[in-house]
Amino acid sequence: MRGRVNAGLITGGVLVGLVVLLALVSFVWTPHDPVLVDAAGKLRDPGGGYLLGADKFGRDTFSQLMVGARTTLYVGIVAVGIAALIGTPLGMIAGMTSRSGGLGWLSELIMRVNDLVFAFPALLLAVMLGAVYGAGTLTAMIAIGVATVPAFARVSRAATMQVMVTDYVLAARAAGRRRTAVAVRHVLPNISSVLIVQASVSFAIAILAEAALSFLGFGTRPPIPSWGRMLQESQELLFSTPRLALWPGLAIALAVLGFNLLGDGLRDYLDPKLRRISAER
Amino acid sequence: MLSVEGLTVRAGSVELVRDVSFQIAPGERVGLIGESGSGKSLTALSLMGLLPEGVGASGRARLRDRDLVGVTERRLKDLRGRVVSMVFQEPMTALNPLMRVGAQVAEVMTLHGKPGGQARARAVELLGRVRLPQPEQVARAYPHQLSGGQRQRVMLAIALANEPELLICDEPTTALDVTVQKQMLDLIAEVAPALLFITHDLAVVASVCERVLVMYGGRVVESGPIREVFGSPRHRYTEGLLAASKLTPRGTRLPTIAGSVPQAGHFPGGCVFRNRCPHATATCEQEPAPTGEGHAYACWHPADRG
Amino acid sequence: MILYLLKRLVVFLASTTVAGVLVFAFMAVLPGDPAEVALGVNATPEAVAALREQFGTDRPAITQFLEWFGGLVTGDFGSSYVTSSPIGPQISDRLGVTAVLVLGGMALALVIAVPAGTFAAVHHRNPLGAAISAFSQVGIAIPAFLAGILLVFVFAVKAQALPSGGYVPIAEDPAGWLRSLLLPWLSLGLVQGAVLTRYVRSAVLEVMREDYLRTARAKGRGRMGALWRHGLRNASIPVITVLGLQLATLLIGAVVVERVFVIPGLGDLLLNGVAGRDLLLVQGVVMVLVVAVLLINFLVDITYAALDPRLRGAR
Repeated sequence: MRGRVNAGLITGGVLVGLVVLLALVSFVWTPHDPVLVDAAGKLRDPGGGYLLGADKFGRDTFSQLMVGARTTLYVGIVAVGIAALIGTPLGMIAGMTSRSGGLGWLSELIMRVNDLVFAFPALLLAVMLGAVYGAGTLTAMIAIGVATVPAFARVSRAATMQVMVTDYVLAARAAGRRRTAVAVRHVLPNISSVLIVQASVSFAIAILAEAALSFLGFGTRPPIPSWGRMLQESQELLFSTPRLALWPGLAIALAVLGFNLLGDGLRDYLDPKLRRISAER
Repeated sequence: MLSVEGLTVRAGSVELVRDVSFQIAPGERVGLIGESGSGKSLTALSLMGLLPEGVGASGRARLRDRDLVGVTERRLKDLRGRVVSMVFQEPMTALNPLMRVGAQVAEVMTLHGKPGGQARARAVELLGRVRLPQPEQVARAYPHQLSGGQRQRVMLAIALANEPELLICDEPTTALDVTVQKQMLDLIAEVAPALLFITHDLAVVASVCERVLVMYGGRVVESGPIREVFGSPRHRYTEGLLAASKLTPRGTRLPTIAGSVPQAGHFPGGCVFRNRCPHATATCEQEPAPTGEGHAYACWHPADRG
Repeated sequence: MILYLLKRLVVFLASTTVAGVLVFAFMAVLPGDPAEVALGVNATPEAVAALREQFGTDRPAITQFLEWFGGLVTGDFGSSYVTSSPIGPQISDRLGVTAVLVLGGMALALVIAVPAGTFAAVHHRNPLGAAISAFSQVGIAIPAFLAGILLVFVFAVKAQALPSGGYVPIAEDPAGWLRSLLLPWLSLGLVQGAVLTRYVRSAVLEVMREDYLRTARAKGRGRMGALWRHGLRNASIPVITVLGLQLATLLIGAVVVERVFVIPGLGDLLLNGVAGRDLLLVQGVVMVLVVAVLLINFLVDITYAALDPRLRGAR
């Protein structure tokens, strides 16, 4: 049952599309080299080929934004990918075994561990990982990914439990289908809408987390551009050159807004009844 | 005592209930039957001032000397629960899960001026009156600890607390088990003051009510004492309804009414039943006026007196 | 009810212990020996061994863990390998600051979200309610530190009304203390307020559709009266869930905000510790943060039971 295509879905899609476009184009072309230091051109105002001006090292803001989009998407994809690949099967197992006599403890165990991991916010994990292995894009992605696993596990468990009691699953089990077969062929396709929505929402959270980490210096290392670090660098010049904070801030906000709207819009479109399932308790 | 004249309910430009008129005398039990989409629930809700957003009522409804339609919410608040009250169809969700049962019964009394202590005591009394065993315990319990039938009795207790003049019941037993239904109906028949009983179940209405109104397409198509209406229906819809509810001998087909109930706003002009009536003619394009006192019907080609 | 609480308490204690193991194991994996790091490259093996003995890092991992964890329970966080100063007092000093920051932010968020969310729900059909929804969507997209920078720009740079950073202890100067916390509170509160508004709105909308509200009206209550008396308590349950979750997020948001506004709280301590490779310090602070989150979850569970009789297993 499909809901309507709504304004949120379209707006979200457009915003996300813009970010993706920026990132893709940056592979092929940027107005200037974003990491090229140009002391003579430092703090250049917008104009003359430098669309949004330059920062204190003379690096073109617009080019940095474009390449920064790459980082943003990269981290989001990997983090959400990790979370989905680990969290979904865990949640499905927990959902499928929750009522069965012998394996009920498995479901409990998974959820308890889940709650524990939930208690370690992404930032904390990233900081800890960074302390051990050195900060950088990789540790940020892994930390955010691991921290997002609980959300996927919760959501897929809830959805799985709902699907398990539907007639066609009961029929499949009554016909003697093996558990794994039931899982892959019946449960997975039916919980996919919920997972897609969660992916979009988690992507938005991942972007926020990466931005925060970069801001703190725990994310992408220089000289690779990152929106969060651009913000951090702009802070000291806030009094004199506020535009340095404006563009990365706007980029982050619009990207997150886009993914949130996309997630909500997808939820309305794929199945309006899904509103009830979320990562909360 | 209750007099309804020309009640019309509209949602925007769509007429959902049209020109409904009837009366209920003190202590009288009147049934309102019809299928889903006939407008019976809306009629009841408009008497309570509980129509949903976007839906409005016009016309006249008076309970003794008080107007029920076209008055302010402030006035309606005063009347609801005190002078006219309602029991709804779904008992499982009608009570607040976080409040004790006794408190919810007492609430309807304290809202209308009774002091708390008295209200609480009377709540226990009322729970006993609706034949709930161990009423003090029930009063302290939470709704999730009670069954559907028990909750519906609680709803009845709430409805009767302030001794209203009119009790409206909208399919009160439809969601209950059959065995529980009978008990509930007996109870309602026993304790109700004037009663407007809405249902789609002919057997149920026959066991509780003295008079009946038959609604279709937002209009009252036939009304009168139960015996007469069920014994010798005049309106073709009533005739069809009764035929469809009779068990037929083995091997024969169940009689049905051709076609299905149109959506709101898509009823034919003139006689609202004419697109499904086997006896319709060109005359039926004119809306028939209700005829007859006592046993009234609105039909150009009524069935013969049987 | 008691059984439920006990069960929750056991879960809390068990989680704390497991968390301790995880944190310790994590930090134990850290390459590099604290003793070597402290003494430098040219240290003699004997000096390193002696320092190791002093630190206690020459003993088996289990022993170290037990001693550390046992110490935590009594409030002794040990002394830093790097600065040799006791960690416990450092944490407790700054815990207060962070706690004030977080609680103030949450309070502000609630003050914004509850009226806004309820309003948006009651008026969900008209443009005003939709506008509030839209605003909260935008608010969610702004990370706390971005809000902080924006606020600094508006109030400190342009209006010159509030400080752009720094912290004044309340004992020194109450007015200054307030001024130094105002923008940080706003940064956290506005963003959290936006997040909570959505949840309050959906919770109230759900409640508005419930049958028991219609029952209340049939008793003689008006629309708002029914919502107030019957809806609020019911709507608060999902909101409290989110509150608990968000408090954890807020805690972490505070870490970042402390950076923006140069506030000497736990977050600041943590980041300095990581930068300085102060292993024991980082361990201690992380434990405190994690236990705080677990404690919040525990309190949320208790509040549930207090609010919802269905959870208490009554009868």
